Amino acid sequence: MKTRVKLTFPQNLIKEPVIFTMAKQFNVMPNIRRARITETVGEMVLELEGEDAALDKGIAFLKEKGIEVEMVVGDVIE
Amino acid sequence: MGHVKGLKCRECGREYAVDPIYVCEFCFGPLEVAYDYASIAASISREKIVQRPENLWRYRELLPIDGEPQVGLNSGYTPLIKADNLAKAIGIDELYIKDDTVVHPTLSFKDRVVAVALTKAKEFNFDTVACASTGNLAHSVSAHGARAGFNRFIFIPATLEASKIVASLVYEPNLIAVDGNYDEVNRLCSEVANKYRWAFVNINIRPFYAEGSKTIGFEIAEQLGWQAPDNIVVPCASGSLLTKVWKALKEFKEIGILKELNTKIYGSQATGCNPISAAVKAGTDVIRPVKPNTIAKSLAIGNPADGFYASQVIRETGGHAEDVSDQEIIDAIKLLAKTEGIFAETAGGVTLAATRKLIESGRIKREGRTVICITGNGLKTQEALQGHTTMPHHIKPSLSSFEEVLEKINGN
Repeated sequence: MKTRVKLTFPQNLIKEPVIFTMAKQFNVMPNIRRARITETVGEMVLELEGEDAALDKGIAFLKEKGIEVEMVVGDVIE
Repeated sequence: MGHVKGLKCRECGREYAVDPIYVCEFCFGPLEVAYDYASIAASISREKIVQRPENLWRYRELLPIDGEPQVGLNSGYTPLIKADNLAKAIGIDELYIKDDTVVHPTLSFKDRVVAVALTKAKEFNFDTVACASTGNLAHSVSAHGARAGFNRFIFIPATLEASKIVASLVYEPNLIAVDGNYDEVNRLCSEVANKYRWAFVNINIRPFYAEGSKTIGFEIAEQLGWQAPDNIVVPCASGSLLTKVWKALKEFKEIGILKELNTKIYGSQATGCNPISAAVKAGTDVIRPVKPNTIAKSLAIGNPADGFYASQVIRETGGHAEDVSDQEIIDAIKLLAKTEGIFAETAGGVTLAATRKLIESGRIKREGRTVICITGNGLKTQEALQGHTTMPHHIKPSLSSFEEVLEKINGN
């Protein structure tokens, strides 16, 4: 399964290899499409591919680390 | 014959054919409709527009359809009201209200975007339309879709109060109440949109749907005698409306219908859901998602799809953004009603209350010409005013009882 997410990294995590750690630990393949770093945060838009359970665990890991994980398309409930 | 060149990614600029798609396959940026402005300029004029029926399709060359309009033939062209009483109350020289409390058929600006989305859905030969909504969008898709003969699927969080869904259910759509929180409903809808060949108006039809919002901008310019105002204040949920009001004015300038354009665009949000105004006020374009907590439910989008682009427009035009408390929203709804006789939903309260703050802080100059966009009808959110209105005077069925109260009212 594939999922598209937008990650927002707080300043203290910008230097950490969080994506690599998640990929290795949960066997999730990241495919980065867009990224930028400002003075205060990092933003990354990417596709994650893996087994359903692995994706759930990987995303939970990112959230636990303090990364905001959102859908790329934004909220669709209007 | 339409004037659409294709779809274009707002991030990387990659171009796509006109299809029911919404995201760039390469950078995952949102797709937007691109037009051939030279051919539009050659085929539209002020004279041509004014001869057409008073609905949103009078600007059809600048809307993303190929054939004849098919949905919403009575939608749009709402009043632009010169609000002298309100202007005096909030200390500004010249104020106008773009009054979308009266859009046909469901009394919010969503009737504009859905009219365009469903016309496009017809052109794409969809037989089913869908949306995820807790209010105005659900009403509009249910109603426009009924008349246009679509199967309709409306997704809502199961926790939504029964009173909120009657205005959708009366049109007999398939209403799917999802037993999950907002994030789960959001995710499910994206999955459904990707799996089924349906016109999900604000997902796979979003590039076309969003263009319908431009008609507010076109109408404001036309109703001001083909002039753009100095300031426009727009409520922000996803941020799409704000970007499209500005796009409309820029397009009118581009094709020569407007001679000058110096409008500043201002955003307004509730403090309980302010990812866009927080970013603008902090001087950044990084939109940090929030968990909404406000009575302005129609603006409660915590992760706004167009937040970044809305903040860019605000910066580009020299505008600003402001957010307001629930009490300020209620006070503004009441002020609008008692000065101009317009009953706005909570989003209207947000826009007026934010406008007051922007005037008080000097961000909006008192001597300019300002338009505020009131985007939905107060009859839809009456519960927000529970306990905040004046009370009726109870009397016995006798003239003396009435005159007793009358004396009190007259202060005798």
